[in-house]
Order: sequence, then C-alpha cells, then structure tokens
Amino acid sequence: MIRAFLAESDVNRNSIREMQKTMSTVKESVKIMTSTIIAIALVLLCMGMGSVQIPVGDGLSIIWHKLLGQEMPAGIDPSMVSILWEIRMPRVITAFFVGAALSVSGAIMQSLLQNPLASSYTMGVSAGASLGAALVIITGITGTIFGMFLLPVAGFSTGLLTVILVMAVSARLDRNLQNHTIILFGMVFSLFVNAILTMLSTMESEHLQRLVLWQMGSFSGKRWPHAGVVCGCAILGTLLVMRYHRELDIMTFGEEQAMSIGVDTKKTKILLMVLSSFLTGAAVCFSGIIGFVDLTIPHMVRRLFGATHRVVLPMSMILGGAFMALADTISRTLLSPREIPVGAVTAFVGAPFFLWVYFHERRA
Amino acid sequence: MSERNTALHTSNVSEPAQRGVSEPVQRGEILVCEHLTCGYGKDPADHPVLSDLTFSLEEGKSLAILGANGCGKTTLLRAIGKALPYEGSIRMLGREIRDTGRKQIASMQAMLSQISSVYFSYTVEETVMLGRYLYLEGLFGKPSRKDRKIVEAALVQNGLYELKDRQISELSGGQLQRVFLARTMAQQTPVLILDEPTNHLDLKYQEELISFLQEWKKGVTILPDGREIRHTLIGVFHDVNLAMDIADELLLMKQGRILSKGEKAQAATNGMLQEAFGMDVASYMKKHLSFWG
Repeated sequence: MIRAFLAESDVNRNSIREMQKTMSTVKESVKIMTSTIIAIALVLLCMGMGSVQIPVGDGLSIIWHKLLGQEMPAGIDPSMVSILWEIRMPRVITAFFVGAALSVSGAIMQSLLQNPLASSYTMGVSAGASLGAALVIITGITGTIFGMFLLPVAGFSTGLLTVILVMAVSARLDRNLQNHTIILFGMVFSLFVNAILTMLSTMESEHLQRLVLWQMGSFSGKRWPHAGVVCGCAILGTLLVMRYHRELDIMTFGEEQAMSIGVDTKKTKILLMVLSSFLTGAAVCFSGIIGFVDLTIPHMVRRLFGATHRVVLPMSMILGGAFMALADTISRTLLSPREIPVGAVTAFVGAPFFLWVYFHERRA
Repeated sequence: MSERNTALHTSNVSEPAQRGVSEPVQRGEILVCEHLTCGYGKDPADHPVLSDLTFSLEEGKSLAILGANGCGKTTLLRAIGKALPYEGSIRMLGREIRDTGRKQIASMQAMLSQISSVYFSYTVEETVMLGRYLYLEGLFGKPSRKDRKIVEAALVQNGLYELKDRQISELSGGQLQRVFLARTMAQQTPVLILDEPTNHLDLKYQEELISFLQEWKKGVTILPDGREIRHTLIGVFHDVNLAMDIADELLLMKQGRILSKGEKAQAATNGMLQEAFGMDVASYMKKHLSFWG
C-alpha cells in the first residue's frame, strides 16, 4: 500500500516537472516569436521611412507584386516603386544582414575568448579590412562593376589575412592558443596595421575624407548585388556556427573544463574564429567599420533570452539585424538630406537602450 | 548512484551506465604511467616539469597527489587529461591517452577543478546538461528524455533540484561547486579527476564535498563492453588532512619526480612529507591541533 502511494506520488511529481518544463518552453517560445515579429515589423517600417514616406500597405503591395513578377496595381506611383525596390530595400536588407553578421560574430568571440569585452574586431579584422580598402581608395579604381566589388573584396581579403597572421603568430608562440595570447596579438596587429593606415592617410591626404568616411561606416548606395552577397554570407556563416552552439556553451567555462567534457578545443576554436572573421569580413567590406552592435547586441540577447547559444546565435542575428536597419534609417532621416555616419548612430541609440535592458530586464 | 541505466550507443562514443556497488568485482589497473616526461616547452623533454614518472593505480582506489607548489601536481593531471603533450606512456583503461580521441577520454574521466569565473550566466540545469555533451545526438544536439533523467538525478543527488532554474551567477561558491560536481556526475565516467576542488570553499562545503565523493567512490560504472569499473578518484589537494581523509593511496612529489607512492600509511611517513614540503608537517599539524585541546 505504501509502495503504491509512493509510486503514485512519484508519478505526480514527474508530471508536475513535465508541466513546468512545458510551461517554461512555451514562455521562451512566445518571447522569441514576439521579438522576431517586432524585428520584422521594424525592418518593414524602415523600408517605408525616408524623404518620401511610403505607406505600409503600399510598400507591402509593391514587394508582393515585385516578388511575383506581376504588374503594379493602378494608384501606385512608379517613382515610389523605384525608391522602394531599387534603393531602400537593398539598403535596408544590406544593413540588416551586416548587423546580423556582426552580432553573431561578436557573440562567438565573447564566448570563445571568455571575455565580455571581446568583439568581432578583436582579431584585427577591422584594421586589416581598413588597410585593404585604403589601398583601393588610394589607387582610385571605382565606378565600374569591377570597382563596385573591388573595395569589398580587398577589405574582406586583407581582413581575413590579418586574422590568419594573428592566429599563425599566436599558435607559434603558444601551442594551446590560449585566449590571452590571441587577444594580445589581435591588439598588437590591429595597432600595427592602423599605424600603416595612418601613414598612408597622411601621405595621400586628398583621399583622407573618403578613408575616414569608409571607416565610419555607411550603407549609402547599396544595391541588390551587395544585399545578396551579405545575406548569403550572414545566413551561411550563422548556420555553420549553429552547428557548434553546444561547444560554444561549454567553452565559456574555460578550455580545460571544455576538454574534460570532450570538446576538441583547439580545432573548435580555430574553426569558430575563422567563421567569426568570415562574418565580420563580409559585413565590414560592404559597410565599413561599424562598432557597438557586435559588442552590445549579444549581451542584450543573453539578458533577454539566457546564455545558451542555441538561442543567443539566432536571436543575435535577428535583433542585431533589426537594430542596424533602425540605426541606418535614423542615420539617413534624422538630418536629411545629410547622412550621419551609421557607426555614430549605433552608439548613440544603442548605449541608452543597452542601459535600459540591463536595468529593467531581469530574467525570471 | 542508485539508478541503473542501460548502455546506449551513439555516433560518437558508447555510453557507460552507473550504479552503486553491491558485490565485489575483480580489480585491474585503471591508470598506468610509464617513464612519463612532460613540460610546457616545444618538446616535452625541453625543461620538463615531470621527469620519468612511473606508477599505476588500481580501479576503485582513490589517489591523492601531494607536494609543494610547483612540484608538477597539476601538470600531471593535465597530462592525464591530454591537455599537454608528453613522452613515455599514460594508459587509462588500457588506452594510450596520446592516441585516444578527446571524446573517448571524456567518456573515461571527468574533471572537477577549483571554482572558475563565470562570465555568462546559464541556469543550473543548463550547466549540468553540458555534462551530457558526448551523448547528445542530431545536428543541434537536443537532449533526450534519458539525458534529462540523468541530469535530474545529478541535480537531486547534489541537492540542486530546487535551484535548477536559478542563474549560476547568483549562487554561492559552495553551490556553484556543487553545480560543477553535478555536471561531472552527468558525464557518468568511472574516473573522477579533482584539481584542488575544495579551494575557496568554506568548511561546511568542504565536508559535504568530501562525504559526497566518499559515497561516489563506492559505485561502479558499467562500460558498453559489459566491464564493471569501480569508481576511481585521482586528486590534487593543498590540504594534507583532506587528502588523508579521502585517499586510499598517496603520491608524494618533489620537483617533478616521485618521492613515494603507496598506501597512505606507508607513503606518508613524516620523513617523506618533510622532504616533499620542506618542513616538519607532523609538528605543524600538531601545533595547530593543540588549539582544540
């Protein structure tokens, strides 16, 4: 009789645990869904905003007919179609995926290096990419299709080359590729490459303004080919990183612990750093250097949804993207027709928002 | 470990099962180190921290490694865990560590080290679930019902079930160490490696941890091939009393070499301890004990 009672209470306890588990999963899913819907709505809103306001209904109708390859309905101004489809959409989509790539990359670097201050630029990608871009700007090859992609390709290649150099030197001096060695060499290489960049800027002062503007970041003049490339790189990179979400969770507890749990830390670290640099390189080469997003969005996401990378990576992508689209919209509308560098906007809008999230959002 | 689990085969490593011991099983050597030389240079033999170490440990025994700071205790643990390259041989359960994959090693040995910094806050349950890493299947490694049951058992065993949804950043040092212990329990290995696990813990938690480990070492792990392996502890302790409390055997080290190894009564003579620590350990202990009458 007692045994039967104990068995029954065990069953009850188990079913209560199952119920609690289901409830918390539902709560988490609702939170994720709500944030995703808000992010999509924000992106659509950004497409409508600008010197010519496009009502949401008209905007959706234009996108719908364009996607289906149908004739535009009467009553929609052809110039509105051109503004939305040819100018705003590629720009907003480029901004979205640049923000997404930078945020995912930042999340990887912070966890991998166990350093909340690490960012996608820690490995020297930005300095390398800036140098590559500077070389192209100084040579003056622009204007053609070749020129349109030369700047991003040069930025991307030199950015990745810097990361490879940082990793090669770190591995040579520290077989185990410890975090402090990587951070140190990342910083040293960044400073060294920045010094070359400063010398170049001084010697070629007529290009100084363009160089500085490139380093401040902008989405001006981005077209569908840009959006397509950034979108492809961001989605591909994030999907590949998602494969390692559990390893990232484990590695935040330190390498020795990760090894004892069964993670091949050296291999995983190299792979994820290459993927992170690929994401940053792809973002930077089209937009220039935009800070803040990569550093703060992953922290905000952890605050809102918890630290597991199964959620942190996709939510960093979505919220980082939406945040960048919003920052770009503010940069082109606030002092229209002048544009504020988007890097300044991300910090200007992001810093108070970051504080708000930290002080008001507490996980249950 | 009261729960008996059936062996499960995964794409990575085969999962062992654990239970409390009831009948005597035949003992074999679980760890054999032969002519082990190891260091932090480019070549293990360049400026070695460990020089030509040879010893073995029977399964079911607990071994405490003692010695002064810098004598190579932690380096030895790191070599056993394949965190450092070495010359000579380290075999665990008959497998040469050098030639064994990281996942296979993690199915044999789990490590509990001193409390580390927590940079990003996971919940207690999420942290313990990381111990199931080896056995998670599928592209995104979703925990199975069985993984959840094992984690739940580890949480209950360590008195953490009520705290399972708490952020680990909100826990005290003792609670945090229990979380890490639960994670190693979820890993279900026959060997537990301890690297000064009681550092930063107050006396109550030290006592709790030692009691728990003494209970744990009475259990066995059933390997997928059907072998029953008695739980074995290998630990580095700063506190000589704790080491004496938990260990069956002692390994005394000095400057990367073995001073003595064996049952604690034989290995820890006052002369040996004096040589290892460079001081009269027995007098020191007595002096401090005199306070308590």
